[in-house]
Amino acid sequence: MGNDKSDVLQGTLDLMVLKTLEAMGPLHGYGIARRIEQVSGNALSLNQGTIYPALLRLEQRGWVKSAWGTSESNRRAKFYSLSPRGRRQIEEETENWERIAATMSRFLAPSN
Amino acid sequence: MDRIRILLSRCAALFGKQKLDEDLDEELRTHIEFAMDEKLKHGMSQQEARTAALLKFGGVTQTRERYRVQRGLPFAETLMRDVRYAVRQLWKSPGFAATAILTLVLGIGANTAIFSVVEGVLLAPLPYHQPDRLVMVLESRPSLKQMGISYPDFQDWQHGSRSFERMAALTSRSYDLTGPGTSAHLDGMEVTSGFFAMLGVKLVRGHELSPSEDRPHEAHTVVISNRLWRDRFASNPEALGRTIILDGADFTIIGILPPKFRLWSDIDVYTSLGQDEPLLYHDRTIHSIVCIARMKPEVSMAQAQGELDAVQANLDRLYPAADRNLGINIEPLKQSIVGDVGGTLLLLLGAVGIVLLIACTNVANLSLARAAARAREFAIRSALGASRVRMVRQLLTESVLLALTGGLLGLMVAILGVRLVLAKFPDLVPRSENIHLNIPVLLFAFGISLTIGILFGLAPALDGSSVDVQGSLKAGERGSTRAHPRAQSILAMIQMASTLVLLVGAGLLLRTILQLWNVNPGFNRQHVIMFEVGLSPSLSATASSTRTAYRQLLDRIREVPGVRAADFTNIVPLSERDNGGPFWVGAQQSTPMQDAPHALYFETGPEYLKVMQIPLLRGRFFTPADNSDSEPVVVIDSILAHTYFPHKDPVGQLITVAHWRTARVVGVVGHVRHWGLGDAGTYNPSQIYISFYQLSDEWVPAFARDLSVAVRTPLDVAAIMPAIENVVYGADKDQPIYSVQTMQQIASDSMTSQRLPAILLGTFAFLALLLASVGIYGTISYSVAQRGQEIGIRMALGAKRRDVLRMVMGQGLRIAVAGLAIGTAAALLLARLLSSFSQLLYGVRANDPLTFVAVSLVLMTAALVACCVPARRAASIDPMRALRTE
Repeated sequence: MGNDKSDVLQGTLDLMVLKTLEAMGPLHGYGIARRIEQVSGNALSLNQGTIYPALLRLEQRGWVKSAWGTSESNRRAKFYSLSPRGRRQIEEETENWERIAATMSRFLAPSN
Repeated sequence: MDRIRILLSRCAALFGKQKLDEDLDEELRTHIEFAMDEKLKHGMSQQEARTAALLKFGGVTQTRERYRVQRGLPFAETLMRDVRYAVRQLWKSPGFAATAILTLVLGIGANTAIFSVVEGVLLAPLPYHQPDRLVMVLESRPSLKQMGISYPDFQDWQHGSRSFERMAALTSRSYDLTGPGTSAHLDGMEVTSGFFAMLGVKLVRGHELSPSEDRPHEAHTVVISNRLWRDRFASNPEALGRTIILDGADFTIIGILPPKFRLWSDIDVYTSLGQDEPLLYHDRTIHSIVCIARMKPEVSMAQAQGELDAVQANLDRLYPAADRNLGINIEPLKQSIVGDVGGTLLLLLGAVGIVLLIACTNVANLSLARAAARAREFAIRSALGASRVRMVRQLLTESVLLALTGGLLGLMVAILGVRLVLAKFPDLVPRSENIHLNIPVLLFAFGISLTIGILFGLAPALDGSSVDVQGSLKAGERGSTRAHPRAQSILAMIQMASTLVLLVGAGLLLRTILQLWNVNPGFNRQHVIMFEVGLSPSLSATASSTRTAYRQLLDRIREVPGVRAADFTNIVPLSERDNGGPFWVGAQQSTPMQDAPHALYFETGPEYLKVMQIPLLRGRFFTPADNSDSEPVVVIDSILAHTYFPHKDPVGQLITVAHWRTARVVGVVGHVRHWGLGDAGTYNPSQIYISFYQLSDEWVPAFARDLSVAVRTPLDVAAIMPAIENVVYGADKDQPIYSVQTMQQIASDSMTSQRLPAILLGTFAFLALLLASVGIYGTISYSVAQRGQEIGIRMALGAKRRDVLRMVMGQGLRIAVAGLAIGTAAALLLARLLSSFSQLLYGVRANDPLTFVAVSLVLMTAALVACCVPARRAASIDPMRALRTE
């Protein structure tokens, strides 16, 4: 990992993907990548390729399912969707993240 | 949970990789196309859109690689690649691969075979319910650690002890079956009620003897073996309740045993112990049965022993004449069944371990040579960037692959070999029915294969991979400057030494067998045939009719042409059958029974001495005139005469025989080695002969059952037995003839405890000799190949063929001599350490110089022959060509 400020932490990308699928329903890899970029307001320079190992990891854990389908532009694409387990996992991951964020912000708050 | 799921999905991805790769490629392609679509919409050109999309994606190849790492098991994939490469490498040098695998097959096969025997016989628990609770209870007296027990004592133990869940008594007893079907001799056992329940054996049909059948009973009942059920009743369930005729009496079948049930040997009929022979079972001084008991779960063997000691002490007080000084001996049932074969088996396991060591050394030696020859390959791979770890792993993969292949084949060889040997000699070891392929044996074979693969691959691997790249590549075409002459010579030396140890062991046992075979057993074992006859029940109803029947039977046998002499005996020398009992010099029982000297009793007919050609030293042997109406007489052996009549002529003296009467000594005969050819005379050496025709009426049935007929004839078994069978069956067809053996066979069988280790040690020693010869041959030829140039130069400078020959042979000889020296020291040390080995020897000491010299010569010859081939090759090197190839 480089020290570029916009590099994505591994765990955070997983959560972003899960939240994206929760919000958008079944979506292909490109759609997920674009959505993440849009939501982050293009502050995140995501190497779109990194999304695929992340998706595979989530699938191996059973949080995400995939199936081949046809896109609106009539291309054959692999669509990812949340599994029931993944839906439950979001809650846990969110809590985790909030705890880390809260801890971090306490460190970063100007000391008085 | 997650981890397992991930692992499973990763394992699944090892298969159908091509399809998964295609899927990924399509997915990534679509991704770029989606991106391009969007860029094109914003007005970019096709080329610009593509570049931008790829830029944004950030490296398709890296993504694909990271994806694959995430998807599969990189370790397993590398391993599979290594294995494939290893197979290719081995395939390319079939000579090396075949030699190595064959060597390992021999080593691992022999070890697995012996281990399967050790496992089945020594390690595996007995196949009964909670077998560690089962014990064998015997009696002891001051001069004998283990002896049979008396039935009244057994009954008193049953009532007086609380340590046992159940106790059962048993004794072997053979029967003649005369129906249904043809007549046959059966091995049987008399047991008390609850015997099978005590072992935890469930009958397949019916039930076992009940307590009411422990008493004299009119209706006889029998539990039969599964084999008898199958052979006589075609496994028909209706056999239950049917009748079989044993020794002329009807027995109702009440139970059928499961197929694999076995204690010491195969038994076909189990009858009730308490039902007949009141003489044997109600006399406290007759010790003819044994007791097996199941201890309660919380009771230890020491506690059980303590309690029975107390019970026995009480019996000592109550019945001083019979039970004075009798002790209790308890041992685990398994120990009693396995016997003393354990030491021999462990000895063989050690020996076969040495064979394995030699085999492994050979493979290590081969690998070393190969590693040297492959130095260039590794130099190139290293130059191309292969890491050391990677190359060690590659080499290890090769050696493990070799070892596992050898192990698998060795396992098959072992299973087949053991099966063949046991089919031919089922009684070679106790519990042989329990020897088969099972998980421990599989694990053993797999374990030693893997260990060998790793251990003996690691040394050459570490060595072969630490390549001096530049040096190796510079060294020219053959690139093999990295020889290991020292390591290889040391390995060859170890092989020679180990082989010598095995050869010495085999040699000593062989000498033992030769010595035993030349022992004079006290009789002439040539031209004697022994067999048993089941006397027809109709002829043996009373004692006097039995005596008459035997006399007539023998008269008829003596008339068969070719029969020089014939008579019977109750115990056959060298057959291990015991018939010991107390006696007193003089006309009274002058001491308590336990303190009286013991003798071995032969109950024979008058012509027995003539059949066996036992020398008559004084007086006379029996004549037909010695019968139940004349004065009782005995004949004693030379040892009894020396021990108890040292200063006077025993003939005319009186001897009182326990359970019989006082008799006059009428003759002295030579001592017979009854307990084996190597009989040291420590157990029951005194021998007394009693005429069967003078036995009291009540003893006749018990002894008549076990009589063997001995026939002296110059003809062989096949030539004379039909004629003998004719006259026996001519008298009555219900008289089966069985256990036909020559005295030579019986003598040979008596050496089983030496023969098994001698044959196996001999085989192992031969294997070792073969392997070590290959080893020294390999070492020398490799060294000759390495030194081709040097030899060429020497010859160019004027060395003669003879000098080269001498130089190479000298190298081999140095290895052999060093190996011999180490081996001799090791063999001397081991022989002293292994008492179980020295116990097997007879007439030869463990440091027997003749054996050592002989096997050293054998080993030396083998080494010289093995060196000859490479030496001649070295001597025939053409100096010009040798120099030019460099």
